Order: sequence, then structure tokens, then C-alpha cells
Amino acid sequence: MTSASEPEGSVVLEGVTKKFGGAIAVDNISLHVRPGEFLSLLGPSGCGKTTTLRMLAGFEEPTSGSIRISGQDVVGIPPHKRNVNTVFQAYALFPHMSVAENVAYGLRQKGTPKSEIRERVTESLDLVQMRSFADRKPTQLSGGQQQRIALARALINRPAVLLLDEPLGALDRQLREEMQIELKLLQSRLGITFIFVTHDQGEALSMSDRIAIMRKGRIEQLDDADSIYDSPASAYVAGFIGQQNFIAGTMTNDLSVMESPFGIINASGPHEDLAAGMDAQAAVRPEAVAVALATGDSTSTAANQIRGEVIGVSHQGETLQFLVSIGNDQTLLSRVPRPNAPRLAVGDSVLCTWDTASVHLFPSDQASQAQADIARAVSNPAPPTSSISL
Amino acid sequence: MTTTVEGRTAPPRKAPSKRPRWLKLPSFALAIPAWAWLFAFFVAPVALVVWFSFGYKPGIFGTHANDVLSFDRYAEALSPTFFTTFQNTLWVGVVGTLICLAISIPFAYWLAFKAPIARRGILLAMVMIPFWTNFLVRTIGWQIILAPSGILSEALQSIGMLNEPLEILYTRTAVLIGVVYNYLPLMILPMFVAFDRVSLPMREASKDLGAGRWSTFMNVTLPLAKPGIVVGILLVYIPLMGDYITATVLGGAKGNMAGQMVANQFQTAQNWALGSAMAVVLVLTILTTVGIAALVAWLAAWPLRANQRLVLGDKS
Repeated sequence: MTSASEPEGSVVLEGVTKKFGGAIAVDNISLHVRPGEFLSLLGPSGCGKTTTLRMLAGFEEPTSGSIRISGQDVVGIPPHKRNVNTVFQAYALFPHMSVAENVAYGLRQKGTPKSEIRERVTESLDLVQMRSFADRKPTQLSGGQQQRIALARALINRPAVLLLDEPLGALDRQLREEMQIELKLLQSRLGITFIFVTHDQGEALSMSDRIAIMRKGRIEQLDDADSIYDSPASAYVAGFIGQQNFIAGTMTNDLSVMESPFGIINASGPHEDLAAGMDAQAAVRPEAVAVALATGDSTSTAANQIRGEVIGVSHQGETLQFLVSIGNDQTLLSRVPRPNAPRLAVGDSVLCTWDTASVHLFPSDQASQAQADIARAVSNPAPPTSSISL
Repeated sequence: MTTTVEGRTAPPRKAPSKRPRWLKLPSFALAIPAWAWLFAFFVAPVALVVWFSFGYKPGIFGTHANDVLSFDRYAEALSPTFFTTFQNTLWVGVVGTLICLAISIPFAYWLAFKAPIARRGILLAMVMIPFWTNFLVRTIGWQIILAPSGILSEALQSIGMLNEPLEILYTRTAVLIGVVYNYLPLMILPMFVAFDRVSLPMREASKDLGAGRWSTFMNVTLPLAKPGIVVGILLVYIPLMGDYITATVLGGAKGNMAGQMVANQFQTAQNWALGSAMAVVLVLTILTTVGIAALVAWLAAWPLRANQRLVLGDKS
């Protein structure tokens, strides 16, 4: 079954499309997941990430395209015959079984002898440090504990690929950060391919080897965290990951220079869709923007410099955040590490500067559409899964 | 029931209280209306029936007397003539409940998991709509269908399945058809709710872990839906055993049931003592059969539970 090019633990999607009635949930995506990789599918609700995961698990069949897991074509194979396991969003632990019985479920379905079941359940519970809870019922456990049991239960069948559907969504912030570290450690220890679905970029950035950013059923960018953060492939990715200052302007004949009402903006390189005279938007990250008290009243004409007035200062723990009004109802956000932060107060006249390398230019229409999509995604967080009841 | 909180808390606290103690109601006061209702309309009547059942009919104009107590009415109630009716009732009750079960489980399962969600409301309404018509009218309707010259008989003759008119009206079979029709929604509804509450992720988790459809049904869906199934069975079996309208309308002399017999003793024969004894026998029959059924179900599920049970030996 396993070929040399697609070893155990690899996942390949080729031209996969899923339609529900007329609605396209997943639109012709192709994705190669390497064995032992921690890959996140990141995007707002409705971007198709969960549908993609459900097609891998076998709960949905693709309308077209092919899916191979460990080199084996799995389209048409029911979930119980696939060598993948899922950690569900709401854990889906069986309330009528004890913790040990929940974890044993997968082995019992295979007809594993009871002595071996006992051994492997113990081992699996040890893996998530939950052995002392073996005889409890899931309802007697906290959210984080249930999460661990769900993980132990999904791992006991030693799947080639583990699918995780927003598994940390129900946990509070601190526990979520702890579990992120634990998940990552577990994954590197076991060497199993993890495909992790989330709408939380922090989660995706902190754990993943690679991140696939999805939007409207398509993959916008597939790359490691650094590349996605530093060289976003589209305005959508630029705005979705982290924060951005967007400044509107018009392209000059030099396609890495944009003219804005606030001055000249230089970028490291042009975007492939740009042309001279085109409306464009420059994206600059708040942490790339330096602020300093403006000296004198000389109006600077240097590139990547904008004068403004501080209208807000806020503490973010390790960083200070300045909101600077630059006129025309436009503001710039600057984030500076606290030890080096200038002592500025509301009302101060400041000069904002940044490096050419930190500027990315995008066509204006793409950028506006992306910002609208992101705003919608932020105002409509993923709804909790629920079954329809009367 | 009458022990107050003070009885348990020694030593009495001297915490300053603005309200005098006699004004404070014990917490069970909240349940008093329900208890009163249950006592007046359930405990007292049942106690009265049990009391009457040990008496006798004093003469042609009296209905009951309790100056001499005996078990004679019970002996009478279980005499061959009446005993046949009890057997008949039990047969209709058990077979009727089993038929309802055989129809309800697949239907409720289909409604909860397979039916298009948009149509569910309509499908449920179709289950409920017969309930809006009077019980008696619906049952009389079956007379028209089941009569020898009725719709069913003529349809079966016209397609050649029968050569002579169908003779099932006023038999036990007619009663069985009637009770299944009348009580089926009472079983479908709680079962639908029970199946519907077994969430999709729970069933998907089972399949994800390697269980096929049947195994998922037996290990996850059925155990989680069990309370609803038990309610459905009780909701059908208990009133079915006491039903006498269906038996009166469709059963005739051959399809007699215990409920009818009890009603006859009270209304026609004016023998309250014998009627009470019959009622008590009926109640005991229901309790015993429910107990036996529960035991059988528990024993039948034994292998499944034994297979599932897992207690890790040592704890660290």
C-alpha cells in the first residue's frame, strides 16, 4: 500500500472540491502533507477547513478530486476503515463509559485481547498524565482533563495521521497555552502527522511546522510560520495573520514605490499584480513602525516617514502600543518593546518611520476585499458545534 | 417525611434570626402541593380499591361491604372465566408493545438521523396529527376499515389475496391492530427525542475509532438513548394493559380485555369488591411483567457490559 513517494503518514489532496447543494465549501484544493509534520489549517469559520478535515476522516466524501493517506486512495472508504483518528471539538467522550473504557474503545473494536487492552490503555493514559483518573466518568473531569482523554483515545489505535478539530477552543487562555506546548511535545515524541484545524492564529503560529491559510474554500498560502508572517502572499494573509497598518496610495512607474497622501512609501519589491498608476495599499506591521518625538516643524519628505500626533498609549505587557493620527482620519499603530520605548504622551507630535523591507504592497481592490473578509471573520467567530434539536 | 431540620442539627445554633423559628418553613414545604395532589388522587384511591378488594358484595342492591375481610374476591377474579381475559390482556399488552417497539426504533432512528432536517417538523406532525382526533372516533374508524365488508377486506379480495370476506373485526387481532395504532406515537416521540439527543460527534467518534454502523448503534447510540426507549415502552405498555375503549369497540366478545372486565364489575354488575380485586390483579400483573422485562433486558446486556468493562488494576 505504501509507496516510496508517499510513505506512511503522508496525506495528499489533489484537486479536492466539496459542494453542499449549490454551495462550494472546498474549492479545488491541493495539499501535500509530509509524514510526521504538524500542519495547521487556519482560517475563519466557513473557510472550508473543517470540511477538509472531515473529508480526511471520512465523514464527508469529496465531490471531486482525490485524497490519499499513506499512499492509499481513501475516497469511498468509511471512517472506521481509515488509519486516521480525530480529536473532536467538543471532545465527544462517551458519557456512559469510564475514562479507561473510553480510551479502550478503539482497541475493543479491533478485538484486541483484554490483557493487551489493559496494558495499552495504561500506557496511553500515562502519555497524557491521566492514569489516576481511569475509573472516573468523563462528566467528572474538567475541560482540560477531558481534552487529554480525547487525545489518549484518539492515539491508542496508533493512527498514521491524527486530525484535530479546534481541540483547544473550549479551554481558557492559560490552559490553552499549556496544552499547545504539550501537544507540540507529544507530536514530536510520537512522530505522527498532525493536521490541526483552528481559527486561532496564535495557536497555528506557535505549534505548526507549516500553516495552510484558507479563505472561501481555497488555500491562500501554505508555508512555515516565519514566511507567512514576514512575506504574506496576499493582502488577505497579510491582514489575517497579526496586525497591519494599511496605507492607501497610487503606484509610481517604479513598481516598488507608492505615492500616498502622507508621502512616498518604498517597498522591498513589487507585487506581481501591480502596475504603474494603479491604486494600491501598503501594509506595515505595528512592530515595524518606530516612533520618535518630532524635532522642529520641518515637514519631512523622506520615504517611509510620516508625521503624526499620538492619540493613544496602551500597555500590552512586554510592549507599549501607540496609536498615531496622521490626518485624513487615518491612524498608524506602533508597537515597541517596553525597555526601549520612547516616553510619549497623548498629544505629542511624533515621526513614524519603518524599514523598506517591512513594507508589502498589494493592489487596492484585493486589499479592501481582504479587509472586509477579515472584519467579517473577526465579528463572526466560529459558532459552537451543535446538533439541531427541537 | 415529617422530620424537620432541627432534628438533625445538634447543637442548635444561636445565630440571631430576625424571623421567629415557627415562621420558617422546612424545605420540603415546596413539595407539599405535589404530595397533596398525589395523595388525594393516587394514594387514597388506590388504597380504597385495595381495601374494597378484601370485601364482598352484600346483596343485590349493595355495591360493597367490608365487615368480613377475605381473599375470596381474588380467588373469584382468577377463576377460569376471568383468568382467560387476564391472559388475553397480557398477550395483547406484550405483543402490542413489542410491535410498537419493532416499528418505533427504526422509525425514530430514521427520523433522528436520516430524515432530511427540513422535513422533520412535517414528519413529526404526521405522527402527532391523529392525536388531535378523539380516541374513540379514531378507534371506531378502524371498525370501518376492518369490517368484513370494509375497505381492507375488499382490497385484499380484489387483489386476490382473499377469497372470502376478512373476518378479523371483533377478534384479538383487531384489538392488537387498534392498540398499536393508538399507542404508537407515545413510543415514537420519546424515542425520537432520545435518539436526537445522541449528538452526531458522539456517533462520529465511535466510527472514527473503528466501529462500524452496527457496533456504533449497539455501543453508543442505544445505551445513550436507553432512557427514552424505557420511557417509550412504559408509556405504551402501562396504558395499553388498562385500555378498555379499544377492546370494547374492536374486540367484541372474543377480544375482551381486563380493563373492560373491571369496568363491567363496577358499572354493570355493581360488584365493587370483585372489580377492585380484578384491578389489583391487573396492577400486580403490570408491575411483575415490567420487573421481569427489566431483568431480562439487564441479563441480555450482560455480555456487552462485560466486554466493555475495564478497570485498570494498579493505580499510581
